[in-house]
Amino acid sequence: MAKRRRAALLPTNIILLQNLVRRDPDVYHDEFLQQYSHYQSLRDIFLMNPSSSDKGTEFGELIGFMSAVCACYPKETATFPNDLKEILLNNHRDLSPDLREKIIQCLTMLRNKDIITAESLIQTLFPLLTAYSASNSTTGQHVKALRHQIYSTLISLLKSVNTGAKNQKINRSTQALLFNLLEQRDNQGLWATKVTRELWRRGIWDDSRAVELMSQAAVHPDVKVAVAGAKFFLGADKEREDNFDDNSSDEEGFDMGALKHKMQVSKKSKKKVKKLDLAVKAVKKKNNAKNITTYLNFSAIHLLRDPQGFAEQIFTNHLTSKQNNKFDLDQKIMFMNLISRLIGTHKLIVLGIYTYFLKYLTPKQRNVTQIMAASAQASHDLVPPESINPIIRKLANEFVSDGVAAEVASAGINTIREILTRAPLSIDKDLLQDLTEYNKSKSKAVMMAARSLITLYREVAPEMLQRKDRGKTASIGIQSGDKRGLPQFGVEGTTVRNIPGIELLAKWRKEQGLGNEEGADDDANWEVDEEDDASDIEGDWVTVDSDKEYDISDDESDKEDEEENNEETPAEAEADDENEVSDLDLSSDEEQDEEEKARPTKKSKMAAAVEAKEQEKKAAEQAMTELLTSRILTPADFAKLEELRTEAGVEKLMGVTQTNEESVDATTLVGKIKYKQLREEKIALAKEGKEDRSFGSRKGQRDQPHSTTNREKARKKNFVMMIHKKAVQGKQKLSLRDRQKVLTAHITKQKKKGY
Amino acid sequence: MSKITHSHVRENVKKLIEFSTETKKRNFLETVELQVGLKNYDPQRDKRFSGSLKLPQVPRPNMTICIFGDAFDVDRAKSVGVEAMSVDDLKKLNKNKKLIKKLAKKYNAFIASEVLIKQIPRLLGPTLSKAGKFPTPVSHNDDLYGKVQDVKSTIKFQLKKVLCLAVAVGNIEMEEDVLVNQILMSANFLVSLLKKNWQNVGSLYIKSTMGPKFQLY
Repeated sequence: MAKRRRAALLPTNIILLQNLVRRDPDVYHDEFLQQYSHYQSLRDIFLMNPSSSDKGTEFGELIGFMSAVCACYPKETATFPNDLKEILLNNHRDLSPDLREKIIQCLTMLRNKDIITAESLIQTLFPLLTAYSASNSTTGQHVKALRHQIYSTLISLLKSVNTGAKNQKINRSTQALLFNLLEQRDNQGLWATKVTRELWRRGIWDDSRAVELMSQAAVHPDVKVAVAGAKFFLGADKEREDNFDDNSSDEEGFDMGALKHKMQVSKKSKKKVKKLDLAVKAVKKKNNAKNITTYLNFSAIHLLRDPQGFAEQIFTNHLTSKQNNKFDLDQKIMFMNLISRLIGTHKLIVLGIYTYFLKYLTPKQRNVTQIMAASAQASHDLVPPESINPIIRKLANEFVSDGVAAEVASAGINTIREILTRAPLSIDKDLLQDLTEYNKSKSKAVMMAARSLITLYREVAPEMLQRKDRGKTASIGIQSGDKRGLPQFGVEGTTVRNIPGIELLAKWRKEQGLGNEEGADDDANWEVDEEDDASDIEGDWVTVDSDKEYDISDDESDKEDEEENNEETPAEAEADDENEVSDLDLSSDEEQDEEEKARPTKKSKMAAAVEAKEQEKKAAEQAMTELLTSRILTPADFAKLEELRTEAGVEKLMGVTQTNEESVDATTLVGKIKYKQLREEKIALAKEGKEDRSFGSRKGQRDQPHSTTNREKARKKNFVMMIHKKAVQGKQKLSLRDRQKVLTAHITKQKKKGY
Repeated sequence: MSKITHSHVRENVKKLIEFSTETKKRNFLETVELQVGLKNYDPQRDKRFSGSLKLPQVPRPNMTICIFGDAFDVDRAKSVGVEAMSVDDLKKLNKNKKLIKKLAKKYNAFIASEVLIKQIPRLLGPTLSKAGKFPTPVSHNDDLYGKVQDVKSTIKFQLKKVLCLAVAVGNIEMEEDVLVNQILMSANFLVSLLKKNWQNVGSLYIKSTMGPKFQLY
């Protein structure tokens, strides 16, 4: 009976039918066919008069039903997906918003069931996205919702397609569609930038094609698209990093220690064991994932195909062309920033930009610090110094003088320093010495800025500084003839040319009596490497290493210690020697002057020193080639090298920071300026941190949730149970004197508490 | 492979030389290349490295070099037997991009006189530095022949858009010992450049131009 009733209901109750069909397609074939013909007739009606005011709710329901069950009857519904697509593509303007949404949903569902391919779905959705983009919007909020729906569908689709291995075919076809969008001159391209940016953020697209897309966007004539493109290059990598950081911190949601502790103290249950297992698994997986950084984490700027062309195009199209008025100042600054980053990272040569900066570098200019930062980023050691020099002159003239405010002067000097770290040749001696005079300034920020300039030149070219500013090591160097001279143009300062401290290692090996060939084949020297791999903790693996080495040879540790002492002493002695020499030199410096220098003894001494230096240098070079060509440096060797280097005080040149690739933070250029505080600020500062300060003992105040304490229990205990206790009865039986004592004690206590 | 040993390198070099000189000899001088795959390396967090190293012997003797010089240096270049161009020659290129590109392609490296080098970016534009062939400066006091040899024997390690790099360290007509030395030296230098030394090295191969690769590490 019940069954019949259900059967009778079926033609109208589609949801029930859907459920039944899914369970047993064969039995309900007829019912399905009935519904299908119903759908077909409704579809024909709709197609005949698409703009009818009918809302088509029934039609929508039927479409939902069809797409839900069409996997069960592939033969009958072969044309169904195509129908939907055509309706959506041809009549999307006539569809009611609900129906449109429904159709898109159904298409997504079909794609999830693998009935239609991802490509065909993308090709159906894309035209809609552009048709309803902001420029030709017709009907208010429905359009916005629709765009949002399509956008999120696209993103999740691409994400699912790219999980596991990357599906390059679909990525390419999508990117081709996006390229087409960017070729139009209106702001349709905005969608391309949005999609690309989101996918980049999620690490789904990380190849040069995506970057190429964005570079096209950045040179687009439309303002919004161009700005979106530029923003991508300036900020997307940070975004991606944040995104990945977030993800990793999510995984850390549980505390392994706490879980293990719980297992020990509380009752063991299957659930808890399972939880612990899961946690252990997750932690392991995470550690593995960290070790294998499979996805290529190159920044977008590095992946550009033709950075020179790109930078030139932005510069000419957006900054210097006649229509550059369409951008406001902030946008122009953004482009300057982008171009300068490109120039810095790839060492490009865009000579026009330096004169372009000149126009903006005045203290009155709005957001001038950002422009200054950009001008600093745009300089590197392959730019001809005479192109950068005008910028430095302008900065010095406009910003650095006695009449200006401290922050202006410090910003000026700091910017000049940033430029000079990248291109140290672009200043002349006189100007540099003028600027370093400011290290006597009363304002701390200016003083610090000038000092940092001095420290910079002490390393780069001490000859250009005044004598008093050169500092000890630099003047010793100059005295003893160890002249490096000015850095030459065309020699890249950031390339490492040798292994610093390698001669020390060679010497050490000699002292240890180790031949060149020995040790490399020894497994122990390599072993450390693997062990370290297993527990990959960043940073000081070197120190751990050396410890381990000692552990291995535990029995002869005494001997080894001795050896160590031995090896230390020569180094120290040498250092002492050097100090002596240097002291002499210094004293001659102070005593002044030419006459003394002319004295033959000194001169010969100096000559000898120079000779010795040269010989040393040669020896070092020879040692390096000898050692490097004859054996392979093992991890243990590198550890020893590090140790020796720190002992001898060789500065660490390894991993020289490539300053030209770094961005300059505009906010730090001004330096720390201390203004006089207002009264409110003073009060706020005094109050800061005092709000949750508590006085008195912390006894009885516990932060963490805890079970009831004995004290609490005693307080809550039923009085009837307590009435016979001595603590209560005793009070009754107190003598008058005792009672008085207690009372006075209580009163004083209360008074102390402030009642 | 967990480690790299001297004897292992020697073995592989032997095999490599044998293949290129006996098994399948080609009609040109094959170059031997060191190919490196990096691992555990995050190009955004760890700074990209660049280093150049002077090898004891010239790895590619057929390298072509051009000298941009003033009159003095052009004369010297002629006596050394290296091609040279004067400022006027460069001006004749007229900043024509195609011609400059042709020039950059024609030679493997450039040397410029100290007085001239500052004008190079203006005269030739970005093409040279784009190709990684920005000239090395030479002063009048320097020995030009020595400088040319220096440039020829200097190899450059620089990370590009991928996590692997290859560099020419020798050729197949070198002695076995020499080749081994060159390989060891460049491998050591590269490893010293990396932040975590051997932990950053995924694989090391040597390969002659037309021959198969041999794994070292």
